[in-house]
Amino acid sequence: MTTPTTTAPERTVSLREVGPARRGTRPDEVVIALSPAFAGHFTKTIVDVPHAEVLRQLMAGIEEQGVTARLVRVLDTADLAAISHTAARLSGSGISVGVLSRGTTMIHQKDLPRLSNLELFPQSPLLDAPVFRMIGSNAAQYAKAESPQPVPTRNDQMARPRWQAKAALLHLKEFDCIEAGRGPVEVEAVFGPGTAG
Amino acid sequence: MGAREGAPPEGLLVVGVDIGNSTTEACLAVVAPDGSITYLGTDLTRTTGVKGTPDNTEGALKAIRGALARAGRSAGQVETVLLNEATPVISGLAMETITETIITESTMIGHNPTTPGGEGLGVGTTRSIGELGEQQPGEPVVCVVPHGWDFDDVAAALNAAVAAGVDVVAAILAGDDAVLVTNRLTRPIPVVDEVAAVEKVPLGMLAAVEVAAPGRTIRTLSNSYGLATVFDLDPVQTRQVSPVARALTGNRSAVVVRTPTGDVTDRRIPVGELVLHGAGKTLRVDVDAGAEAIMEVVGRAQPLDDARGEPGTHVGGMLAQVRDTMADVMDVAGQPDVPVSDIAIRDVLAVDTFVPAEVRGGLAGEVALENAVALAAMVRTSRSRMQLVADLVSEGLGAAAEIGGVEGEMAVGGALTTPGVDRPIAVLDLGGGSTDAALLTREGECTAVHVAGAGELVTKLIDSELALGDREVAEGVKWFPLGKVESFFHLRHEDGTVEFVDQPLPPHVFARVVVLTPDGPAPVPTRYGLDHVRRVRREAKRRVFVVNALRALRQVAPGGNLRALEFVVLLGGSALDFEIPDMIADALAPHGIVCGTGNVLGTEGPRNAVASGLVRAHAALLAEEARCRSS
Repeated sequence: MTTPTTTAPERTVSLREVGPARRGTRPDEVVIALSPAFAGHFTKTIVDVPHAEVLRQLMAGIEEQGVTARLVRVLDTADLAAISHTAARLSGSGISVGVLSRGTTMIHQKDLPRLSNLELFPQSPLLDAPVFRMIGSNAAQYAKAESPQPVPTRNDQMARPRWQAKAALLHLKEFDCIEAGRGPVEVEAVFGPGTAG
Repeated sequence: MGAREGAPPEGLLVVGVDIGNSTTEACLAVVAPDGSITYLGTDLTRTTGVKGTPDNTEGALKAIRGALARAGRSAGQVETVLLNEATPVISGLAMETITETIITESTMIGHNPTTPGGEGLGVGTTRSIGELGEQQPGEPVVCVVPHGWDFDDVAAALNAAVAAGVDVVAAILAGDDAVLVTNRLTRPIPVVDEVAAVEKVPLGMLAAVEVAAPGRTIRTLSNSYGLATVFDLDPVQTRQVSPVARALTGNRSAVVVRTPTGDVTDRRIPVGELVLHGAGKTLRVDVDAGAEAIMEVVGRAQPLDDARGEPGTHVGGMLAQVRDTMADVMDVAGQPDVPVSDIAIRDVLAVDTFVPAEVRGGLAGEVALENAVALAAMVRTSRSRMQLVADLVSEGLGAAAEIGGVEGEMAVGGALTTPGVDRPIAVLDLGGGSTDAALLTREGECTAVHVAGAGELVTKLIDSELALGDREVAEGVKWFPLGKVESFFHLRHEDGTVEFVDQPLPPHVFARVVVLTPDGPAPVPTRYGLDHVRRVRREAKRRVFVVNALRALRQVAPGGNLRALEFVVLLGGSALDFEIPDMIADALAPHGIVCGTGNVLGTEGPRNAVASGLVRAHAALLAEEARCRSS
């Protein structure tokens, strides 16, 4: 009997820089933009979802729709809207998904004002692997000019008081990893043990 | 009716007021003693309260004051206020599903996931992915993957099994992983995913999995003889599986499992008989025979005295529901309740429709379009209390108020002010609850009929056929043209033209099918494409308004012959619709009829016909001439 995921050895991911990020020309790509400390200084979100899993599920959601994912790390800011919008303008389809180390996620489009978005998932403690899969899937459907139903956003009144302090600390750490003046770089995900195929 | 005597020399200031189901309209005019009319102004406002109740007074006064203000006159100068005799009909709606698809023993999966994997046909024995390791090489296997398996692990397990010589020919997955798994396989196979109740798939049975290429539909499993070939069936068994094949038609992917007694049935729900009394006959018709058969029988029982449903059946329940609603509307405080049994249904419109419903026994939340019949019924009431409204208006304005005439006849009078029409003239008043027709012959005779079914029924059909579950959205789909927002700076209209906008469109309409309301695009929450929504909208309008227009006109036309009509004028709120007038005109064109939307007084469009008709009738009375004088 092969073992299902739940008991599989934890997957890891490391990001390998391959050069400055270019503007894509393929209309069938979604750019996933990662914050400065994602899968670097940090390896898990605020509720301990491994970054490897976040990335795998986002990419799987995109791949299942027949769209390709390209990874970019934004180094000069820790602001999610700025990260996502930068990536949207690099994306061949104009669609991007931005992720912060603590898990906060956003789907953005290049023609939108920077502080707007297509879908925003602001409560990082409520985001788990299935939600990341749906986010990836929706982003890919936008890239295909389909009309996906927005991912149902959960809401927890207690999330703010309970997690705010930790979120603030994580944000400060993320802020420390900013490399001012460096443009976005293209990265490749190298998944660790537990991965097959 | 008085006001025949003593007209002052400079003419009387008269206001006609039409209280409708949704709007109240007023028309102000000066009527000279010789009967000539000078129109001064019109106004319209929302009807307050239910039509025909004292609550209407407020709206009526508002409309009158509005018209006076526009003409620069004061309330004290008004001589007479004329109110319409409200159409004595109320209408109600009911809908009932008449078919039901049931899958027994989990024999079939036909839910059309958006992203199946691979393509082709795989036939083998169903085995759980956990048992693949123990599988003997050689025998073809359809792998069933339960919840909780990661796509990488599934692909690894399948690749390992294939490497060990197991002949894996297809897979059925619980999650949305089909493309991910097939992308990682060394040997491509068809994969069907998103099967929510995958644990119910019987194991150890012969099964066939088929996935078609993108943009195509399956060919083998949707063909009875294809199924017979795959499962080696004899003619008797082939007959049994034909509903399965039919249920899978049009899908991109499907699974059929052969079990000893499994079956898909397309059951007709016994809905009961509709009993129609009319024209001295009592006719019975099975509701599940469909709208066409029902309407044919309704046509033979004209004029209808009453319609009843067999007690204890669905149709009995439907008509009881309609009667109950109407009894509530007619109930008036201070008067004894209307006994439900006394309410006679005077017209019925049946419309075939379909309702997307989840298939009973389905494994993946399959949705089948079940047939349904919608019934609109109409009841005559004697309890119009317009006189009370007239008294209240008179009190509020300090002028005499009287009931000026029957709505249908007044509407014809108003319609005659449309440029370019002449007698014989027929009007079609396309309202919310009922469609009314009236005919004025060359000799001045006027006949009017009311038939059940109008705007409300269209909204209901759109709501249920698109599974919107929101009346407001359905109303929007009915009223406004559609578009698809393709980027933040352009949208494509339903006729294919592209419009660019200067200001970026709001994010919540991005990539959505929208209705183009005057306040900007509003999203339609549906997974159907623009073309489908458009087709549903137009079909709903055709089945209600075109059918009813022909039905009502046949009833007023001399000898039921549409060719005897010359001018047909469309009035009422639904005549303002952007496509209904064209659809009706198209349907009437073969009969040599001039048909178009009315333009009352040459300025008011299809509005204000009854109000200005009231003024005309009053003027005619004043001049002591024939009521239906040619102008």
